[in-house]
Amino acid sequence: MPDKKLQAMVQTIDLTKRFGKFTAVNNLNLSINKGEIFGFLGANGAGKTTAIRMLCGLLKPTSGKAIVADCDIMTESECLKQRIGYMSQRFALYEDLTVRENVLFYSGIYQVKQEQALATAETMLTEMGIDLKDKALTKSLPLGYKQRLALTCSLLHNPQLLFLDEPTSGVDPQARRAFWNVINKLADAGKTVIVTTHFMDEAEYCHRVLVMQNGETIALGRPGELKTQNKVDNMQQLFLKLVS
Amino acid sequence: MHRISLKVVMTFIKKEFRQMSRTPAMIFLVLVAPLIQLMILGFTVTNEVKHVKLFIEDRDNTHTSQMLSRSFTSTDRFDLIQNTQNLKPNVLISDWKAQLIVTIPRGFAKELALGRKPALQIMVDGLDGNSAAVALSYAQGIIALFINSELNIPYKYPVNAAILKAMPAQADVQDRMWYNADLNSAQYMVPGIVVILVTIISMMVAAMSLVKEKEIGTLEQLMVTPVRKSELLLGKLIPYWLISLFEINFVMLAAHFIFNIHFAGSPITLGFMAAIYLLTTLGMGILISTMTNTQQQAMFFAWFMMVFLLLLSGLFVPIQNMPLSIKRLTLLNPMSYFMTITREIVIKGNGLKYLWKEALALFVYGIGIFTISVIKFRKVTK
Repeated sequence: MPDKKLQAMVQTIDLTKRFGKFTAVNNLNLSINKGEIFGFLGANGAGKTTAIRMLCGLLKPTSGKAIVADCDIMTESECLKQRIGYMSQRFALYEDLTVRENVLFYSGIYQVKQEQALATAETMLTEMGIDLKDKALTKSLPLGYKQRLALTCSLLHNPQLLFLDEPTSGVDPQARRAFWNVINKLADAGKTVIVTTHFMDEAEYCHRVLVMQNGETIALGRPGELKTQNKVDNMQQLFLKLVS
Repeated sequence: MHRISLKVVMTFIKKEFRQMSRTPAMIFLVLVAPLIQLMILGFTVTNEVKHVKLFIEDRDNTHTSQMLSRSFTSTDRFDLIQNTQNLKPNVLISDWKAQLIVTIPRGFAKELALGRKPALQIMVDGLDGNSAAVALSYAQGIIALFINSELNIPYKYPVNAAILKAMPAQADVQDRMWYNADLNSAQYMVPGIVVILVTIISMMVAAMSLVKEKEIGTLEQLMVTPVRKSELLLGKLIPYWLISLFEINFVMLAAHFIFNIHFAGSPITLGFMAAIYLLTTLGMGILISTMTNTQQQAMFFAWFMMVFLLLLSGLFVPIQNMPLSIKRLTLLNPMSYFMTITREIVIKGNGLKYLWKEALALFVYGIGIFTISVIKFRKVTK
């Protein structure tokens, strides 16, 4: 079935990560399609960040296999890195550089033409009211702006797949809403987005979610289906019911 | 292996310089701090023995014995102290009131006038053996000079002069000090201090810079980009290499003006050697940062290594004086090579012709350490 292989952006087989005796992720099997917004849900320490870090080639799995963006994460992590974007909760920006300098730095790293990178950044940032020519240093920006800038920097090389590790933690509800609008637009444009979150209202925005507890998959499916199956009204109730 | 992209390396270099220009603490650390340290250490770190606290117990109390006492005051080697409380000589020494005590016995002048050799007693505080020996030899020299001049005055002591002339002529030894004719301690110590300051600072900034990126999370971000390890590490090495090179020249120039350090050799040769040496210190800094996760850990590691580098460098203790096994250990210390090179160039004026072996050792060291850090540095966590 060559067609199906083409459709899957992420395919994992028994992906496992152990730190000594502690199993952070146990036998993760999942397939994520192109253009999907896929959510990893779970409490802190459930294994979602470990799973994401393996999928983007930051962490070596103990066993199992994963193909991400047609690259084997064990053997082709360098080609993988050209195709993915990654943004973590820490908003890895250089706080002592200006917005423009941050954009130029990441465009240099990804070897994207400067004009092209600045054009991409301008469209994404003016929407949010961030001026690319602003001389202020990044550290003076509000958290919501930093989050948008971090997202912009991770998209400069036009990746097919975007990893967002708790992208909205610490950001106010309004900025979170705006952020999810951008994520939806990206998915509409054909990008695959993988996001971890512990905000259950955000889980509603995902096409499919995977709920993790102690490294195990305890539920996988569309939010609507999961709610019906478990006879609950919202994701918050679903989560509490599954975890207890 | 793909080729290293110069553009990517340049991106890092530009970023580092931008960040440095916005960190006033960095400018302080690189330029002002070493200047202050140089001023303080340059004046204090010396192996010259000066201002030794001297007490003269004059039991003779004649014109001659007073003349002898006075001859000790004509130099800055000794500070004459008074024993107002009439303490015993051993109490004076244990109480840190005097470091050297000369006892002139009763009848000293009379004995001298008769041409006999009067006995004098010298007591020295031997706590710091080296300084004690030097102070003792100064004191003996002053006494010998005094006695000789006393005996040499013909109209005052005609008899003794005749005796002296009858003595067989001694071999005439003419001594001449090469390279540092004034035996100026600063000329020897200050270039060494510059080496230490530059080593500490270059190692620290390199180690801190990468670990800081680990702490704030930007390094993780870089790990998910296609950037190569060597590009990233070269992007860290080159800017700090340029800064440290500027720094060593700046501090050497300051040393030249503040301490009148005379440059016998070529500053260009020294600059060239420094360029090679800094590869090693920066490489060590980067190596430390690949093995640590926080700035505190990196700082601890750097200091741990500094102690070895420093004590086995030959700055304070000449390497020739070390036990054979330790001497071999100094061959592993890049700082000892550069210490030798710097002193040979600055003081003796030697060129590459005599120093190429040390230069080659440093070069191999620098490339080796940098290669190890590229290997040790991991983009994927296990």
